[in-house]
Amino acid sequence: MEEEKKKRRRWRDIPLATKMILAVGSIMVMMLVINMILYEQVNKTIRRMDTVYSSNVDLTDLSASLENVQQALYSYLSVKTSDSLENYYRCEQDYRYLLENLSSQISSNPTKLLERNIRQMSETYLSLTGEGVAAKRGRNVEKYKEIYDQSQELYGYINSYIYQLNSQQFRNNSSSYQALREALRYLEISSLVLMAVMMGIGALVLFAITKGMIEPLANLAEIAHLVGQGNFDVKMTKTDSLDEVGVVTRAFNTMVESLGEYVVRTKESMEKEQQMMEKELLMKNHLKEAQLKYLQSQINPHFLFNSLNAGVQLAMLEDAEKTCIFVEKMADFFRYNVKKGLEDASLGEELTAVENYIYILNVRFAGDIHFTKKVDESIMECRVPSMILQPLVENAVNHGIRNIDWEGKILLEITGLEDNILIRVKDNGKGMSEERIREVLDGCMEDTGEQSDSTGVGMNNVISRLELYYDKKNLVEINSPGENMGTEIILTLPRTGGEK
Amino acid sequence: MKKTGNRETALILLGIFIVGFFVFFTNNFYKSVWEKSGLEEAEETRNYDKQYEMIVGSGKNEFWQAVYESALEAAQEHDAYVQFHARDMGDGYDEIDYMEISIAAGADGIILEFNGEESLKAEINKAVEAGIPVITIMSDAPDSSRQSFVGPNDYQVGQAYGKQIAGLLDEKTKSVLVLMDSENGNFEKSQIYSQISTAVMEEDHGQKIDVKAESMTSDNKFDIEEVIRSIFQAPEGPPQILVCMDEITTECAYQAMIDFNMVGEIKIIGYYVSDTIQKAVEKGLIPVTSTLDTAKMGKNCVEALWEFEQEGRVNSYYNVELQFLTKEDIRDAMPTDSGEE
Repeated sequence: MEEEKKKRRRWRDIPLATKMILAVGSIMVMMLVINMILYEQVNKTIRRMDTVYSSNVDLTDLSASLENVQQALYSYLSVKTSDSLENYYRCEQDYRYLLENLSSQISSNPTKLLERNIRQMSETYLSLTGEGVAAKRGRNVEKYKEIYDQSQELYGYINSYIYQLNSQQFRNNSSSYQALREALRYLEISSLVLMAVMMGIGALVLFAITKGMIEPLANLAEIAHLVGQGNFDVKMTKTDSLDEVGVVTRAFNTMVESLGEYVVRTKESMEKEQQMMEKELLMKNHLKEAQLKYLQSQINPHFLFNSLNAGVQLAMLEDAEKTCIFVEKMADFFRYNVKKGLEDASLGEELTAVENYIYILNVRFAGDIHFTKKVDESIMECRVPSMILQPLVENAVNHGIRNIDWEGKILLEITGLEDNILIRVKDNGKGMSEERIREVLDGCMEDTGEQSDSTGVGMNNVISRLELYYDKKNLVEINSPGENMGTEIILTLPRTGGEK
Repeated sequence: MKKTGNRETALILLGIFIVGFFVFFTNNFYKSVWEKSGLEEAEETRNYDKQYEMIVGSGKNEFWQAVYESALEAAQEHDAYVQFHARDMGDGYDEIDYMEISIAAGADGIILEFNGEESLKAEINKAVEAGIPVITIMSDAPDSSRQSFVGPNDYQVGQAYGKQIAGLLDEKTKSVLVLMDSENGNFEKSQIYSQISTAVMEEDHGQKIDVKAESMTSDNKFDIEEVIRSIFQAPEGPPQILVCMDEITTECAYQAMIDFNMVGEIKIIGYYVSDTIQKAVEKGLIPVTSTLDTAKMGKNCVEALWEFEQEGRVNSYYNVELQFLTKEDIRDAMPTDSGEE
């Protein structure tokens, strides 16, 4: 794995599968190497153990071979046959061959020295037996007997030396054997420890690597869950690794981002749509209401207008000028009502409607209503929603100055400001309590329709229509200093909104 | 992820380190075992050009050990090795067997403590015939064909002993027993014995001091012990002066003297300086002990063999003088070493 580090490619850029293979593979290779080392050592030790006592075996062979020589000599000397001679030579040959393995060095090492002594003595012995054989051939009885005795003696010495060497080597070999056995035991333990350590390290490395791979995935799952619940603000920590997890992480982040954007956009457009729908619905609602109210009072207006016109003509025929004017104004008022029910109107038209209304009322109530107007003539062409001034004045009449003991006065003031048009309707009637004002402004007060005397359009309707028309709140202000102190209604209408 | 990578690397490095350490450790141990198992090859050995044999009677004597060591040291200078053989080394072989073996093994030289046996003389002659030079040590076989002799002159030894015995004589002295280490039973012919007799006779002022000799050559320590005990238990009583001619005899006599509670009654003239003998001399229980220069003896033997090989001839006699040590001078004479002088 180190090799990977050395390369420019970083560990976290390697694909997961390769990572796993590298980790497991390197651990396996290490295990294999250690196993091979241990195996080699154990094998070497066992091979060595096999040969520990081989020198003893060799010596036993040597001793047996020496005995063969002596026996062959004896059998030849006792019965001189060509077979026995052949046997003697073969034994001698074998023995000489075995002697080759012995050291011929004079050494301070007692084993080596013994080997040399045995070798030297054996050489002497063999030359002696050779002489013996020659003497037997030459039938030199005295000589071969003597030589046999000598060889017998030497044979004894050599044998005892071989025995000595054997026991000495056995001692050496035993200590070797002991050492090797210890080594084997140690190897057993050390290999166990080594394996266990390797296993431990391997497990740790695998654990760490697996954790390194799984952790980001687990994080991803958790965050995906959060996103699933609708939280688009969470994000994975940025990574520049090139493995699969890195790719998935980046893709996920991008996805969450665009998902969030999309949701916001959708929400916005839906909200807008909703608002527009609501507005439309409201407007329709109010208009319907207003229309209903008019329709209730406009049963066949054409018949009414025609009738009124007939009344006008009749009054003119009878020279009843006042009646003529009255009926004419009434016809104008109702025509305006019918005509302008669904449209906006100019301020001048609105003002005319108010004047007509006041005229009618003054005819009805014998001039009890003192109506004063202060009008900025320059803004008479500004457009406003229709039927807003007349209801205000009607309100002031019906709820303000009707049934009062003093002289009722109504002031209408229209002022053009830079941006706005200020319309003030003031009366000196009964006035309004704070609660009542709040109720009217909040639109809580329902038009009960009980005022049979009304033209049909209430405050509530006016306020709603103004707000819808201008798409603005707080256009209406109602002030009343106290009971019997009169009421003042101020409309502040945007000027631009009025000029279509 | 980077963190994990680092941790992995650290783990792997640690693993490699541990495994490497173990492998190294195992291998090292293994090597040592290997060497241990090949002990015979691993031991420091040296090869030599020549092989000398040293054959003595009693290999357990410190005296002979010291002689052998100095001989070996001297031989090593000439690239030769000395093998030590003794009758009491447990092989069951005597000097004659060892001579036979040495001849058969083709030794380059033999150093032999002659024990007086006639057949041993024959072996000396056989060896010389086979071209192996023989040097006798301590006791000589003058009528054999041995090349040289290293050791004290019997005449001088006898005189020296005589002088020491004379110094120890007093009115109580009735008999002197010389425990000879030679196999040769004919003490009358022995120079040592005759010189001692002469010396005692000269100092004898009508006391009629009896000088006797006994042979102490034996196969093992127990025999010597028994002989000495029988001397102490003899009906006529032990001698007043006991002259010992070897280390073990001295130690046995000393022990017997203590066991039989005869300290002061018996004067022992000891031989060689072993630890026991040195202590006894220091305490004054043994009045005097004799010693030879073991280093010189060993060296002389090897030098003689070497010279013979180089020159073809050699001095036939290397004298080694006998020294007598008393309580006063034993400390100075025995520095720290096992004590050659």
